Amino acid sequence: MDVFAIASNWLGNAPDFAVPYALAALGLILTERSGVLALGAEGLMLVGALVGIGAQLSFGDPSLSLLLAMLAASLVSVLFAVMVILLRVNQVIAGLALVFFCQGLTGLLGTLLGWTNRAVESFAAIPLGPLATLPLVGRLFAQNLVVYLTLPIFIAVVWYLTRTSAGLRLRAVGENPQAADAAGISVTAWRFAAVLAGAALVGLAGAYISLVSTKLWIAGMTGGRGWIAVGLVIFARWSPWKALAGAVLFGCIEALIPQLAAAGVQLPQYFVLMTPYAVTLAVMVWVALTRRGRDDEPGALGQPYLREERK
Amino acid sequence: MTPEKEVMEISLPPSPAAPAPRAPLASRRYALEVRQQMAWPRQALILAVSLAIGFGISAAILVAAGVPAGELLNEFVLQTLFDRQSLQAVLFQAAPMILVGLGAAMAFRARFWNLGLEGQMIWGAIGATAVSFFDVGPHALRLPLMLCMAITFGLVWALAPVLLKLRLGVNEIISSLMLNYIAGNFLLHLVYGPWKDPKDAFPYSPQFRGFERLPEWFGSTGPTAIALALAVTLLAWWFVGISRAGLYLRFVDANPRMAHAVGVPVRRMVLSAVLLSGALSGIAGFVVVAGQEGRLTQAFYTGYGVSGILIAFLARNNPLAATVVALLVAALFVAGRNLQVFYQIPFSMVQLIQAIVVICVASSDFFIRHRIRPVVGKAG
Amino acid sequence: MATALQLTGITKSFDGFKALSEADFSAGWGEVHALLGENGAGKSSLMNIAAGLYAPEAGQMSVDDNPVQLGGPRDAARHHIGMVHQHFKLVKPFTVAENIMLGHPLASGEGSHRRRLAQLEAQIRSKARELGFDIDPRQRTEQLSIAEQQRVEILKVLLAGARILILDEPTAVLTDSEAERLLSTVHALARSGAAVILVTHKMADVMTYADRVTVMRGGRTIKTVDPKQVAVAELVQLTVGDSVAAPVRGRSPAGEPRLRVRGLRTPGTGGTGGRRALDGVDLTLHAGEIYGLAGVGGNGQSELAAALMGLTEQLEGELVLEGFGDLAKASNAERRALQFAAIPADRYGIALAGALSVAENFGIGQVHDGRYGPAWRLDSRRMQEDARAAVAQFDVQGVRSLDQKAALLSGGNAQKLVLAREFGRVPRIVLAHSPSRGLDVRASAEVHARLLAARDAGAAVLLISEDLDEVLALADRVGVMTRGRIVAEFEQPADRQAIGQAMVHE
Repeated sequence: MDVFAIASNWLGNAPDFAVPYALAALGLILTERSGVLALGAEGLMLVGALVGIGAQLSFGDPSLSLLLAMLAASLVSVLFAVMVILLRVNQVIAGLALVFFCQGLTGLLGTLLGWTNRAVESFAAIPLGPLATLPLVGRLFAQNLVVYLTLPIFIAVVWYLTRTSAGLRLRAVGENPQAADAAGISVTAWRFAAVLAGAALVGLAGAYISLVSTKLWIAGMTGGRGWIAVGLVIFARWSPWKALAGAVLFGCIEALIPQLAAAGVQLPQYFVLMTPYAVTLAVMVWVALTRRGRDDEPGALGQPYLREERK
Repeated sequence: MTPEKEVMEISLPPSPAAPAPRAPLASRRYALEVRQQMAWPRQALILAVSLAIGFGISAAILVAAGVPAGELLNEFVLQTLFDRQSLQAVLFQAAPMILVGLGAAMAFRARFWNLGLEGQMIWGAIGATAVSFFDVGPHALRLPLMLCMAITFGLVWALAPVLLKLRLGVNEIISSLMLNYIAGNFLLHLVYGPWKDPKDAFPYSPQFRGFERLPEWFGSTGPTAIALALAVTLLAWWFVGISRAGLYLRFVDANPRMAHAVGVPVRRMVLSAVLLSGALSGIAGFVVVAGQEGRLTQAFYTGYGVSGILIAFLARNNPLAATVVALLVAALFVAGRNLQVFYQIPFSMVQLIQAIVVICVASSDFFIRHRIRPVVGKAG
Repeated sequence: MATALQLTGITKSFDGFKALSEADFSAGWGEVHALLGENGAGKSSLMNIAAGLYAPEAGQMSVDDNPVQLGGPRDAARHHIGMVHQHFKLVKPFTVAENIMLGHPLASGEGSHRRRLAQLEAQIRSKARELGFDIDPRQRTEQLSIAEQQRVEILKVLLAGARILILDEPTAVLTDSEAERLLSTVHALARSGAAVILVTHKMADVMTYADRVTVMRGGRTIKTVDPKQVAVAELVQLTVGDSVAAPVRGRSPAGEPRLRVRGLRTPGTGGTGGRRALDGVDLTLHAGEIYGLAGVGGNGQSELAAALMGLTEQLEGELVLEGFGDLAKASNAERRALQFAAIPADRYGIALAGALSVAENFGIGQVHDGRYGPAWRLDSRRMQEDARAAVAQFDVQGVRSLDQKAALLSGGNAQKLVLAREFGRVPRIVLAHSPSRGLDVRASAEVHARLLAARDAGAAVLLISEDLDEVLALADRVGVMTRGRIVAEFEQPADRQAIGQAMVHE
């Protein structure tokens, strides 16, 4: 039992598990910062996953496939955006309906189009020169392109939110839509944009799972990760960096399990599969026990906005 | 008291240059307003239209998926409701549907998003199976004992999300969903492991003994299950419509803060409603394993979560309406299975149709709650 | 004097309720023009139309004698119209500069965001200095006092280029001296050429600071006069219509102490800089007495009301009810059983469930002790009968059927329904928080009469109100609340100046 090799494998595999959580959480944060409660991540991830594989099977270009997956997720999210922003449907119901819709649709299309269970080639690992040869942590520097892009994507979104006038407007819409409206900012337009942009990131997360990680599609393959991402956003109190930290934590935990098996630790199979869900639950309880106040939640989260509404 | 009366020189932006006088067009703008109420018949009409649209879209998708358009009516209506075997299947299916629908409705009435119906159903089934597996109790009491265990286990599994919400404010959507996945995995552990039937290689528990199954009426266990479900429906109707608790729940749903201020025991009501919800789902689990299946299987619960939510939503959380809607959803399930067999349409189609219906009905609510008015600016 | 803003024939309804009916208004450059009227007269609605937030159903608008049609608040800003609302439109976590940036042309300018923000901060500083405001553009808005936040709102509209300023009930949330400061600033702005429109219901402000006043009532414009040339009485008559006799306070000697509040404290919150909302409140309510609690909003009044109603989780201190013990430990149902009646300020938030019927909203008050059947069966028929009797007794209008939703009742009638429920059994303690807010004069008088009647029947009444006139009219004793504590108490007849000073005393 080579502890060294196991640890190295663990570190090397952790990003693979962490990236989908990170990207999905970031997409959710972007949407929720504008005041729209986004529960549909599980569904949008499935859409991204299906289209990612489908595009790869059809065109064979991994980057194009990822882009198409993001586009598809954004497209589907238009339905959600219309429901909650224009038609002012209860955002929980709309989110649940979106998830069910995507689950049904992807299950149906995956079978009808014959995309199920067909392996694809996609991104290869790109070793970063001498860094990849370091002992123990070497494999952290031999990841695929999307893993390397994750951090820049985070930086870009954070910079956008905190350092641009556009980001200021978006946050105003989420904190106090009356104030934003009075300032001439179109609450509708910004929320629409936030939903679509957030959905693109969530779709990317889904596409990563199917196209990059497992390299095939099976109905329902996200297995609740979208919901875990929603929990992650609450845990991270809507801060992108905390969400990234949380995603890394989850990634490390999930990556640890196969390594334990390799180390000869006997764990009952299905209890092991329960781990991500049990950890999510534990984390949410821990957050609730230690939080002080709801200062970080966007002020108007979950409330539809109508200018002429009289109390 | 009088402030210094200096005349402040305050610079103001330059005088607005007279803009070229715009000929005001009689433009049409639309203003959106919130409505306070709408006559009942109109609401029903809007609901009917939205359902029609929902089914229309579903029909279109089915045709695109390969079901000949002419066959649709045949499949959905004739084959399902007028064929004796299919009708039996629908009744079979309706009992657990009614129960999860009621379960969802009870929780939603307390503004609690109990999405853990499937997990509670699983544990209900596990509880009932345990009685059979460990051969507990005299034969005559076996079935009631199984029912009790199912209620208890389902109730207990609903305890965690509601306590976490009441005590710590943990979001119940996530907590109940996570518990679903945990329950599902535990079920797999049981049926692939310690409770696996040694007789063959399939992942299920040993077959229940004769007295551990629902008694048969008219040649099947369907009617017994339905009778049980209807009895429970009456109980639920009493709870929300006749008892004082029903009034309390209405206040908890309409305005929890006000309910608390006015003396309604809000926490107790929420707890009761959610535990009831769990118990109902547990009974649903019992009905499936002791009725249809006759043993504990690995995927008996699939689709009930979505269905329960759909039923509660369409029935507006009303127990009696839920029964009717549940029957329709059961018919949908049976039709879905037929489609799967005869046209190779995957069962996900059923979930898709359910989602489309929810989306259409939820969207139509907009027209009930709002009014769009054209705003005309007069010229000159 | 050219006309800065003119509105003619404006009509506007909200879901069937006609808020404005062919209303006219015109304000000139360089004047302070007051728009006077009672609550519900339509003043705010009219000005919201002028500011582009609402769209009228009929009527025209012109700015500087040019006809305009506004598509939204941005259009209004383009026409140099700026409005400071009663409920500030500020994003709490943002800094002053970030808030002002939101509607400002600089937001979509060239250059980096940071540079433009710095530019704006400089503009803010210079403008603030001009006006005599002491505002740091880098400070977070949530840390500012109400008066300071209002100054930020004024800066915001001025920096966005407003020459027509609309101020909606600006002195409602200010102490007397802060109000004076504001109004003299406003006066100076007018002298520099701006058109200032002051929406208010306070006669005193109008008499002192306005050049002209337009009176509105029931959605219509009644008359425009020069306040310097009319008597107060005539203005009152125009505003209120036929006079309504104010209820006579009378006075019977106060009875024994009924409720003692000792050292009431709430935990320090993170949001307002660690300050406690309630910081050791001590007061005693006597039977047969109205204790009027005055003070500017935001000093703990809402928290005190919530604490008394049993809505506060972590409460330190005591609420000793004579003959019972510590009320703080009782459940809300027990409070009702002890004949504790509460009329909260937030009518639809805490007092009524809008989606439920009138009968249910009434009946919930007495259902706990079994008046409407045992727990297993609700006696709806009896509840309906009681509700019918109560609706008649308390003159709740607009009830076509007892099953209709409570949300359909107008403000005054909703309040009467609340009274009907709370006074269903003769109360021993009454908590009334801003009971006549949003009500017209007639409804207010009825509410006041009920409170006085309760007092005369022996109840201990705590009246919390930001309307000093209301407090002075009803109370037997007046207390002043500042920063979470009672800082002064006065016997009636109380000196208004002394009360005002106590309100600003740190």
